[in-house]
Amino acid sequence: MSYSEQDLQELKAESLELLDAAEKSLLALDQGADFSPNFDSVFRAFHNIKGASGMMEQTRLESHTHQLESLLMEFKTKGSIPKNYLNLFLRGIDASRAILDGGEVSFNFNPDPAPLVNPFKKETSEPVIPESALLEFLSECEEIAERISKSLLNLESGNHHPETLNDFFRDAHSLKGSSYLFNFTKLGDLAHGMESSLEPFRNGDSVPPKQILDLLFQNVKCMESMIGSLRSKLPAPELEALASELSGALIRNEAAVARSPAQNPGAAQSIPSKEKETEGAGTIRVPVDLLDNLMTLMGEMVLVRNQVLQFSNQSEDPGFLSMSKRLNVVTSEIQGEMMKTRMQPIGNITGKFTRVVRDLSQELNKNIHLTTIGAETELDKSLLEAIKDPLTHIVRNSCDHGIESPEARRSSGKPETGSITIKAYHEGGQVVIDVQDDGKGLHPEVLLRKATEKGILTQAQAAKLTEKETFNLIFAPGFSTAAAITNVSGRGVGMDVVRTNIERIGGTIELSSKPGSGTAIKMRIPLTLAIVPALTVKSGGSTYAIPQVKLEELVRVDQSGASNNRIEILHGTPVYRLRGNILPLLNLNSVLTRSASNRVSQENVNIAVLDSEQGSFGLIIDEVQDTADIVVKPINRLLKTLQVYSGATILGDGSVALILDVQGLAKAGKLGSRSRENPEANPMEAEAARARSERQDFLLFGLSSPTKHAIPLSYVNRLEEFKCNAVEYSGTQRVIRYGSSILPLISANRHLGYSEPSKDPGDPFSVIVIQRAGTTYGIEVNEIIDTLSTQEDLDPGLISDSCIFGNLNTKEELVVVLDPFEIISREFPQFFKKSSTDEDNTAQTGGDRTITNRPLKILLVEDTAFFRKAIRIVLEKSGIEVHAANDGQDAIEILNKRNTIFDMVISDIEMPRMNGFQLAEAIRQHPEHRRLPLLAVSSRADRDYMMEGKKAGFDIYLEKLKPNLLLGAISELTSKNRSAA
Amino acid sequence: MSGAPTLTEQFTTFYIGPDLFGIEVMKTQEVTGTHPIMPVPLAPDFVRGLINLRGQIATALGLRELFGTGTPDPAEQMSVVCKVDGNLVSLIVDSIGDVVEVARDRFEMPPETLPPGIKRFVKGVYKMNQEFLTIIDLDSVSRELSPALDASTH
Repeated sequence: MSYSEQDLQELKAESLELLDAAEKSLLALDQGADFSPNFDSVFRAFHNIKGASGMMEQTRLESHTHQLESLLMEFKTKGSIPKNYLNLFLRGIDASRAILDGGEVSFNFNPDPAPLVNPFKKETSEPVIPESALLEFLSECEEIAERISKSLLNLESGNHHPETLNDFFRDAHSLKGSSYLFNFTKLGDLAHGMESSLEPFRNGDSVPPKQILDLLFQNVKCMESMIGSLRSKLPAPELEALASELSGALIRNEAAVARSPAQNPGAAQSIPSKEKETEGAGTIRVPVDLLDNLMTLMGEMVLVRNQVLQFSNQSEDPGFLSMSKRLNVVTSEIQGEMMKTRMQPIGNITGKFTRVVRDLSQELNKNIHLTTIGAETELDKSLLEAIKDPLTHIVRNSCDHGIESPEARRSSGKPETGSITIKAYHEGGQVVIDVQDDGKGLHPEVLLRKATEKGILTQAQAAKLTEKETFNLIFAPGFSTAAAITNVSGRGVGMDVVRTNIERIGGTIELSSKPGSGTAIKMRIPLTLAIVPALTVKSGGSTYAIPQVKLEELVRVDQSGASNNRIEILHGTPVYRLRGNILPLLNLNSVLTRSASNRVSQENVNIAVLDSEQGSFGLIIDEVQDTADIVVKPINRLLKTLQVYSGATILGDGSVALILDVQGLAKAGKLGSRSRENPEANPMEAEAARARSERQDFLLFGLSSPTKHAIPLSYVNRLEEFKCNAVEYSGTQRVIRYGSSILPLISANRHLGYSEPSKDPGDPFSVIVIQRAGTTYGIEVNEIIDTLSTQEDLDPGLISDSCIFGNLNTKEELVVVLDPFEIISREFPQFFKKSSTDEDNTAQTGGDRTITNRPLKILLVEDTAFFRKAIRIVLEKSGIEVHAANDGQDAIEILNKRNTIFDMVISDIEMPRMNGFQLAEAIRQHPEHRRLPLLAVSSRADRDYMMEGKKAGFDIYLEKLKPNLLLGAISELTSKNRSAA
Repeated sequence: MSGAPTLTEQFTTFYIGPDLFGIEVMKTQEVTGTHPIMPVPLAPDFVRGLINLRGQIATALGLRELFGTGTPDPAEQMSVVCKVDGNLVSLIVDSIGDVVEVARDRFEMPPETLPPGIKRFVKGVYKMNQEFLTIIDLDSVSRELSPALDASTH
């Protein structure tokens, strides 16, 4: 008899499932889980595969699993399986898989040598069966008994359908198996007898005579009583006697009615007992292709539904309207259910890693513990398949390169057992998978050296990379950090392939690492879901779709309304106060036309509040249209690289709409300098942030002069507009009532010697609000023009006016940069006459003034000329002697070379050659300079940076160019240092 | 001439201005009139936009812009749809020529003096009786549409 390809495929699929289950149980046993249930699961797997493969005449697999089963039975009563045998069985499972794949396998059934004391010694004592397992067994028996009697009734009533007999055999067989397993031999014998008694009738040539059926009924009754007595734990000798008698009778009957086909006693064994079916009743196997096709059709159906709905809008026919409504509801429901068919828990693949890690840790002689969190997180099946290999690669890498040997770990003060954590969770319509290890981490220098050696980077490029970019080198083609290519990783499947695979399915991957404490890899995988609910909006005459998952709310703002319920301009960018919080705004039209103007119309404005990694932001759109389920159609890679689109879709009217990528929009709109969770979500952003951090922003404004003027944006507190008739006088000083305080007004024109523009009482005028030493001042200007972000250095030029920092020579024009503090000092010389530091210090820190006695010597490390000058000016005004260095390297040289003893080092963070963190670390390790007070001044002042700065050794970390804070910090540090000394 | 049968190849041909271009017949999916095009802001200018091709989305490419020889032209009336890297691409052309079968031995590499903008997309030239047939290399178009991912290793 030969079996069809399909039968064999099914055998294979089922066997693989059983093997997976067995593997899981063996690993659980290895971890010290309950013996019985896991043992049973392993046993069941071997036993069932043996049975099924025997039936399908797969003799190799049959004998292999048979031997495994026999070996396993040796441990049934022992309550544990020694480790070397666990390994043996695991290897046996691998071999079974190989056999299923058609491989030639020679398997050694001897366990690894191990300090095992006679594993084959039989236990004679009664087996200890956990209560729970026993109860489960008994209820299963009851179920089986019930089914058997149903089958018997069917047979009696003349239904001799082969399926009926098959049911009977299956039940009797599984009862037999589990009874023997639990050592209830009588019950097992009984079942065996039942099975054998009907064996002759199996081929359907004849029907079982009534006498046999009667006996069988008695048998079942006896069986039920036995189960009952087992439940109540009563000894039932009379039942056992009856059972012996019955099975005896059955055997006799069997002999009497035996026909020729029943000569093969092994035949009964070959019926697979499909526990699977009883467990997972109501599940069927469906080819994935079929699901894929259904999915595609589903997509088309949603399209048609949308078209119908759109058409129904123009219809008045109530019948048609209600039908289309119904169609809508039903389609949505089908769609929802359809989605579920493809979702699988991520545990399906992460579960396998327990084994991977276990094997690897043995192979590598390391102790590694794997923790999986969020295994139940569901992902589309095709995506799950797609991330399996990359994820495996990452885990293998962590084991091989990440986790150190136990000795190395011990010597670096870590627990000997390394840990790898895989964490999966949903976030913003994506599934995030974190793989984290506490191993040795990556050393940026090593990466850089490798990259330059391999010609991936030039020396010059390498010097410019940020830490993030450095780590991402690992994803570059042709890059592998393994010093030696080992068996475990480095098989030519590099991390670049991992990245390519992840990106192919629209995911992202990034790596971060701390040398010595571990590596973390974060993957973001889209949920795919080819159909997503979306909001369609209009902008610039075209329609766009925004995925609903990213949409928080829609706000409609009446620009002519009350002042704090409209879009305001903060430092040249539009913002909106959403329930008291500032919501940054992006104008979709500006983003899509790359225009810098953020002009907001004076009428009603629609804002879609969107959720990005960098926090919420508002997207200004021309028109809100509709919500609809859209079918995501892929767009080609070129368009994907524009970042702002994630796909396209076809609308109800047949036109094409682009789907906006909210994350990409946020990037395009340069959001994200203050990140909500991860300041550098990806290298692109890191690059942008780095570029930004070395740019200086200025506020451009007009005075009564043809030249534009500017002040560094970091000085600007707010921008306001007042009406001329709101100005009041305090003495001769022009002031404005500003909230609860009074805002003194200073005319910039007057201080620079320009004429005042003529104004009517009702005219508005613009004021730049500057805070100095806790007081706000308003600098009047003719008009606020824009902000200017430039990398141009400030040219101090020939200007003698102390109100002027210097000139900016931009591409278009010359801009005069003013020093607002100097203007304030000039307006109020009585407050600021003595030393500009006085008020600042007392106001800001209340600190004691210790700066004055002897001139402090400070080494200022700053690569940008503008800041070098600006900070120097601030410091020198306070009587501090300033020496400047261009970067960290320069600073170290100055510290080492010069005889000057510095009181303090003030350093920027982002610098070429040696950055501020590196500088701080170097100084802290230097025997002579390690006590030197260190002050960081950076435009990157988010919390993570500050933490890192503190870690590197900075005493104080300040945001760039807040002169009063800077002086306060200097005074704080010097006083601390002196009191310490 | 030898007696061996001459190997031939088939091309879908089309005109842009006076020039005759060809794409291997097997790579052509269909020839259609123009569809409404949905422009894609921020995209390079040779991407005219997206079109709805019976429920599938195709990227419409203006060959004039791709070759750097011009801007959209009112003469453009037809579109040749082919599959590039699994994505549908619609090449906007002026008019459609015949499907021609030409002998391999008439093939020649593009002359060095072709404008570089065109040359990078040209596989070669067939010498026809009356004119030249310029064969477009769809792989190079595909490369143009799939910028390298290694943005971080610049």
